[in-house]
This record gives sequence, C-alpha cells and structure tokens, in this order.
Amino acid sequence: MSQILTAPAGTRERGAALRRIPVAAWVVVQFALLVLSIVTAVTVGPADITVGEVWGSVLSHLGIGDTSLTALRDGIVWELRMPRVLTAGAVGAGLALSGTVMQSLTRNSLADPYLLGLSSGASLGAVAVILLGIGLLLPVAAFLGALAALLGTLLLASAAGSLTPTRTVLAGLAVSSFFGALVSLVIFWTASGDAYQEILSWLLGSLAGARWPAVAISVGAIVVVGIPLMLTGRTLDAFTFGDNAASALGVGVTGTRWMLLTATALLTGAMVAVSGSIGFVGLILPHMVRLVVGQRNRAVLPLAALTGAVFLIWIDTAARTVFDPRELPVGILTAVIGAPVFALLLLRARRFS
Amino acid sequence: MHALHRRPLSLAAIAAAVLLTAGCASAGADAGQPAPQASDHAGGSGYPVTVDNCGTRVTFEQAPQRVITIKSSTTELLVALGLGDRIVGQGYPDGDIPGTIAGQPTGDVDIPVISDQVPGQEAALELEPDMVFAGWESNFSGEGVGDRATLASLGVKTYVAPSACKEPGYQPEKLSVDDVFSQIAEAGAIFGVPDAAEKLIDEQRSVLDAIEPVDGDVTALWWSSGTDSPYVGGGIGAPQMIMDAVGLTNVAAGIHDTWGPYNWESVVDADPDVLVLVDAAWNPADKKIADLQSNPATAGLDAVVNKRFVIVPFASTEAGVRNADAAASIADQLHDLGY
Amino acid sequence: MTSTPLLSPSSSAAAAVTEADADAALTARDISFTRDGRLVVDGVDCTIPVGAFGAIIGPNGAGKSTLLHLIAGILPAGTGASIDFDGSDLLSMRRRDRARMLALAEQHGDTDTALRVRDVVMLGRTPHIGRWRSEGPTDRAIVADALDAVSMSAFADRVFDTLSGGERQRVQLARALAQQPRLLLLDEPTNHLDIRAQLSLLSLVRAQTAAGLTAIAALHDLTIAAAYADRIIVLADGRVVTSGPASEVLTADLIADVYGVRADVLPHPRTGRPVIAFDTDS
Repeated sequence: MSQILTAPAGTRERGAALRRIPVAAWVVVQFALLVLSIVTAVTVGPADITVGEVWGSVLSHLGIGDTSLTALRDGIVWELRMPRVLTAGAVGAGLALSGTVMQSLTRNSLADPYLLGLSSGASLGAVAVILLGIGLLLPVAAFLGALAALLGTLLLASAAGSLTPTRTVLAGLAVSSFFGALVSLVIFWTASGDAYQEILSWLLGSLAGARWPAVAISVGAIVVVGIPLMLTGRTLDAFTFGDNAASALGVGVTGTRWMLLTATALLTGAMVAVSGSIGFVGLILPHMVRLVVGQRNRAVLPLAALTGAVFLIWIDTAARTVFDPRELPVGILTAVIGAPVFALLLLRARRFS
Repeated sequence: MHALHRRPLSLAAIAAAVLLTAGCASAGADAGQPAPQASDHAGGSGYPVTVDNCGTRVTFEQAPQRVITIKSSTTELLVALGLGDRIVGQGYPDGDIPGTIAGQPTGDVDIPVISDQVPGQEAALELEPDMVFAGWESNFSGEGVGDRATLASLGVKTYVAPSACKEPGYQPEKLSVDDVFSQIAEAGAIFGVPDAAEKLIDEQRSVLDAIEPVDGDVTALWWSSGTDSPYVGGGIGAPQMIMDAVGLTNVAAGIHDTWGPYNWESVVDADPDVLVLVDAAWNPADKKIADLQSNPATAGLDAVVNKRFVIVPFASTEAGVRNADAAASIADQLHDLGY
Repeated sequence: MTSTPLLSPSSSAAAAVTEADADAALTARDISFTRDGRLVVDGVDCTIPVGAFGAIIGPNGAGKSTLLHLIAGILPAGTGASIDFDGSDLLSMRRRDRARMLALAEQHGDTDTALRVRDVVMLGRTPHIGRWRSEGPTDRAIVADALDAVSMSAFADRVFDTLSGGERQRVQLARALAQQPRLLLLDEPTNHLDIRAQLSLLSLVRAQTAAGLTAIAALHDLTIAAAYADRIIVLADGRVVTSGPASEVLTADLIADVYGVRADVLPHPRTGRPVIAFDTDS
C-alpha cells in the first residue's frame, strides 16, 4: 500500500490553474532561475567585493576581459565562491533527483536518497580519513564507504528473496544503523582535542570545502548519471500499480530496479562524498514539485533536479553569510527550514494513511 | 612560621579568585560566601578550603593526596607546583610533559596514563583517588569519569580548571593573565602549597614581562584545526590572551567564543601578516602548511607566500601554566621573522 | 453509446475465424509453477479461441491468478511449457513485444496514486512509446478512445484516488485497452464492485470481444461467469478439471465436486445460459 500525499481540496482551483501551465514552461522558468541564482549567489559573501568586480572576475576567467581585483580577492571569487555555488547546485539537483527516484521505486513517500545506507557508509569513510588518519582522499573514502553500504543493503535485501520495495527499505535501515553505530564508535573512541569539530561539520553536511575538484565530481555525476536518470520517468511511472502491472507493461522489473537503485546510489554517493550528508533536500523537494506539477515522474524528475539546485544554492548562501563571521554547516539549515516545510505539507495533505 | 608572612600576598591572589568566581555569581547564590575560605582551625593550616567551582561548591578538609588529572593543562599545573608525586594517574593527555615550565625544570616525572581518552568511572575509581582535577567541564559526565554529584557522594572531590567553565558568570568575559594566575593561586590554596603557587606565579610573570611585543599593527590568524572550515582562536580565550601578550591583532577577534568556526573567505579578505599554526597530533602544523599551499584560494596569501608561519604546540594553548612559555616562543619566532 | 474497438485493422479479420482453426486461439500447454515447494499450477492445458470471452473459475487457492500471471509472462511457466497465441509463441517473445500483444488488468482497489485518470490510462501506452520518446497525438487519441470505451471520458482530469472502486476498475480496464492488446487478461476484475458495476464492466469486455479482442477473466461468481463467458475453464488444486462452453461445463455434479456445495443448474428464462441456484440447507 503506497502512501502518497495529495493536494488538499481547498487548493484545487489554484492547483488546477497551475497545472494548466505546461511542464516545458516550468522547466524553462526553473532553468532561468538557476542561472540567475548562480550569477547572484556568487556576488554574496563576507568579503567586501562589489557586484561589478565579481562579474568582472568571473568573465575574465571565462576569457572575456580582465579582472579589476587583486590576485587574492580574485581568488575569493573564482577559487572559493564560484566552485562552492556550482557544487551547491549540482548537489541539490542530485539529491532531489535521487530522492524522487527512491520515493517512486520504494513506493514510499518518506523515502530519501540515503535509504540504502549511503549516508552512513559515506560517513564511515569520512571518519576513517579524518579521525583514523587513513591515507585516502576524503571524497574517495566517502564514496567507497557509500558503495560498501549499498552492497550490504542490496545483498541483505535480495538474500531474503526478490528485491521488493519493503525489503529494500528494511535492509537499508539495518545497514544504516550498523554503519551509523560504527561511525559513533570511531568518534567516541578516537576524537581528540578539537578534531570533533571537523567531523561534526562533515556529518551535518557542509559545502565549505568545495573547490574545483568537487565541481568536477558533482557536476560530472549529474551529467553521467543524473541526466539519464531524469529520462526514466516513464519507466518509473510503470511501477505505479505494482510489479505485476509493470511487468505486464513490458518493464523488466528486477533488472530495472537493480539498475535504478545502483544509479541512484552512484549519484548520491558522489554528492555525499563532496558535501557530507545534507538532509531534507532529497525528501522534501520531490513533494514540493509534485504539489505543483502533479505525480507524473516525467515531469517531476527534471523539475526536482532544477528546483533542488536553486534551493541548495540559496540555503548554502545563507549558511555562509547569515552568521558572519561564523559559518554554519549547510545541513543544519536544510533541516531547520526543511522540517517545518515538511510539517506544513503533512498538515495540508488531504490524505495521509 | 614564614608561611604566615606570605599569607597576605597569597590572600591577595585568593581574593582575586574570590572576585572572579563568586563576584559574577547569579543573584540569590552564595554571594556572601567568599571562596576559598581559610579557617583558623587547628586541624591544618588554611583548611578547610571551600571553593565555588563553576557553580558547584567543593570543600577540601585537607590537601588532596591521590589526584587524577584529566587533560595536560591540569597535569602540568600540578607538576609545576611540585605536586607530581600526588598524581596517581592522568587521562586524555594532549602531549608529553615539557622539560621546563616558566624556566624551571619539571624534573623526572613519570605519571601513569590511565587512558588516552577520558577515563571511565571504574577505571578512575579503581585507583582510589580523593580528587579528580579536570581540564574540561565535559569530562565530568556519565560516560566520562563520572558526574560531580556521584563522585562527591563517593568521597571524591571534583574540580574543573576555572578558566574552562562555560556557564555565564563563570566563564571569563575575556581570559586574561590574571585569570590564569588566580587559577594557579586557587590550586595552591586547595593543595596547601600557597608558597609554591606564588613562586610559580612570579616565574610566569617574569617570563611574560620579558616578552617584547611586536611594533605596530601586526595581524594574525590563530588556526587550531579544521580544513574545509578553519577552527580558529576567537576573541575571549587563551589564543586571544596569548596574542595580546605578544602584540598580535587577531583577525578573528569578532568571534565571541574561546575558539570558533571561521571561513576562508574572511581569512583571504583579511590577508593576515602572520599565521599562527597549532601543532597537534591529529592535525600537525606541516599538514596545515601543505593545505594552505595546495588550496588555490589561500596559496596567494602574503603569509603563505613569504612563509610567515608561527608554530605552537596544542597542549600549550589551553589556559594553563604553559601559556607564558607559548607566548614567549611565539614572540621569539616573530622576532626571527623580522617583527 | 457504441463501444469503439481499439484493435488494429489486421486483428478485426481474425474475428471471422472459426473455432476449428487451431492456430487462431490461445493455446497453453503444460503450464506449471511451484511456489515455496508447492505446485500451484500443475501441467495445465487450455485453449481459448480468438475473439472468445473465456472465464477461469475455481475455489480460492485453485491457482487462477497464478495461471493468468503465467500466461502474461510475469511468472516463468516451467520447462516444457508452451503458450501460443494466434501463431505467436508468447514465451519466446521479448517482454516489450509481448506487452504490445497482451494486457493484464488486475484489481487495484487499494492502490492510491495522485496521478490523473488520463495519465493512468496513458501508462498503457508504455510498451508502444518506449523509454526515450515522448507521447504523441496518436497516443492521446488512443487514450481518449479507451476512456470513451469504458464511459469514463468525463473523468479524464480527475485524480485517481478520488474515484470509487467501480470507477477505478474501469480506468484500469481503459489502461489495459490503451495497450491495444489482442489478448486481454483480467484478474478478478469484479471484486469489491456492486452488481451494477460488475455487469457494466463485463459488458464492456464482451463488447470488445465482439469486435475481435480475446479476453480471459478469472471470476469467482459462477452465475456471472456463465452469463458472459463463451468458454469456461474450471481449475482446482492447480489442475484443469474440465473446460468447454458454459452450458456443458456447469453441472450440479461439477459444482459439488469442485466447490463442495449442492446446487441446481437452471437455464436462464431469456438467454438460456446456466443460472446456479445454491442449496442453502447443505
């Protein structure tokens, strides 16, 4: 039995008007919004640099004109802000996309990208590097940890029988708890002095360390895995009435499920590797998008990606400026904002069983 | 007999401790209870001593003989007071005990380490201590060495280094050298060695007086740990105190905390003249230097290009008896750099 | 309102084929399936001519749903099994090709989705559109025809889970019809429906079979099965007990053997089809 949140009766008129707007129009609007966000967010920050100077610097790096800033201040724009904004966009898109796919695959509206134990696995990789001093690059270790957790989940879920949604969810919970316990153990056992500060930042999810390599990883993951995923809407919709119906519609259920789960895991793993476990984006964004464009995955997938990108760019901008000179890990803000939004969705949902 | 002559001087130091620990107490608390309180009982000079320690009142009927210390700052304090033989075990050390403190050799002390982390309750009680001297308030918890009430009920005195108190009214508004000195004096009163405390304070003071602060406005960042987000010395703790002593201007002084998370953009924007790098086992100074050089945003910092790095060991950065030596070392390094 | 056949022109010609032509039929041989060590379907042979309305009846646990799933290719039919439909070997077909030939409509009373009715029916176009293409005007026209065929055109914009049970079943049928199948499988399509909805749904199916579609429905109500089906297959413990036209198959003895209840079989006053009167004293 799937639990889907539906729009409340009172908004049917407004909802109907919104739904008359074709999906393609929404995509264009969101894309424009994304470009606008990138261009604006990069001008915001603790250092005192004017908008003109920022854009001048960006353009000069793209080959147009010269920058009027000193090398150091130019570095603030091009080495700190630009990669961070781009990574925020890619991570937001990737998490929202993964969340949408997971919710459809498991037919559970409370699913999020970390359901397969990915975030706990990545955290274990991260603490191994930060606290145990294992000599791997942090993103590599986090990614390997995520994959290890995924493997554990899939093996556990399929060992008990075929890979059904319920078994996947339960196996993911088990693996998450286990890896999470290991993470806590390592932290409790080894954290000395103020090393806990660094691991705390990572566990809460932070984009503070995003440089150009992080952009390569996150944007690369979107291009290689995310865009193909965005096109699987029809296949995902075929699962609406269960496995039998999907099979009768010509979809190879087991193979498709494995492929989608693996793709989601790769995408999420790449994002977690560069930014830690940022919560709520993968859970909330799909619902927000569905409220406006309805349930069809062909529409929800690309819009969730675009909306997720815009969302995280702005939340991260707030995280790095609102508490100047201190910086807040962005995962705290996504929870602070995401939890009330989710509560609002619950209260207004017409049916929640 | 000459202890009586010295009494007024140590009483002055104790009075400073009184002002600090009792003066800022919240209304309705033991405002009328000066601490520590010397009594005229015949049962030992100065005892019983009562202190208001981070909001908990502790009374010492006699000098503690079997002490467990947690964190290097407390161990070093006792060693510097010549009380190393009273320590039955130390926990959570930040490093080895230095050979000299404030110019005085620490001697051949070999203090057993109970645990590299905060020792557990049983491990601690097994040694039958009569006092636990903690460097951080959080050491006194159920998972740690035990909460203060439980230990007190078992007859074990608990004491936190006053400069590490976090409650409003107990946390120093801005840590100053006098706070550190009054901490030493209070320890002297508790352990019944007011003379040694006074001597240590004098040694510390002479080290600090010998420091020549740098000329002009020299800006600095005190980088303690963290890579993506630097965890730096803020405006009210030991790092600020040390930087004040050597005449450095802290670019992160706006952070109203002893240490706090900062961001690289602000660091690059400030372009500090000097970078003070804390050398810790989990985050050594050379790793910090490598990170600074490999991060394209910070590689162009003036201090990085010209290698104006000042190194300070982690254990000496907690408020305690090594701060004076740390300040002196930093001043020497600054002079070597040309300041 | 006339029902619109959703079949491609070549299939309408199949309606003229007689029962004697063995090729123009669904022929299943030696279908078996084991689940948890239990032989759920045991060597079933059955034949339904093209354009006929077949009903599979039997007590609970007889294996009716499983048999349908085996024919649909959702479950593996066992070694040595063969399923032919009108000259095509269903078992060796690729899944997507099979989905263009046959459709399965199940009972989904408890599945909630916020999809609109139109989009639910559009799901039936999945095997035709494929993964990467977009839906086109042809697909939309077929969806409109399917909704028309089940008299649900007015509901096209409604959200699926605001519909009643009967309405949902009709939408499921429309979805199956949108697949443009030549073989339609229905798994207990009348469960939880009131009598009017049951009759209406099965009448729709019969209208489609009259236009050339072959339908096989697993039904639990004997009288209704007798009223609509051209051919009845009786299943018990995974084996075929008998099969044939309703009037031949449904006898008091059979009902006693298979269902364990006493009944009288009477001819319907107007249609002549069997009507079962159960003996409430037994």
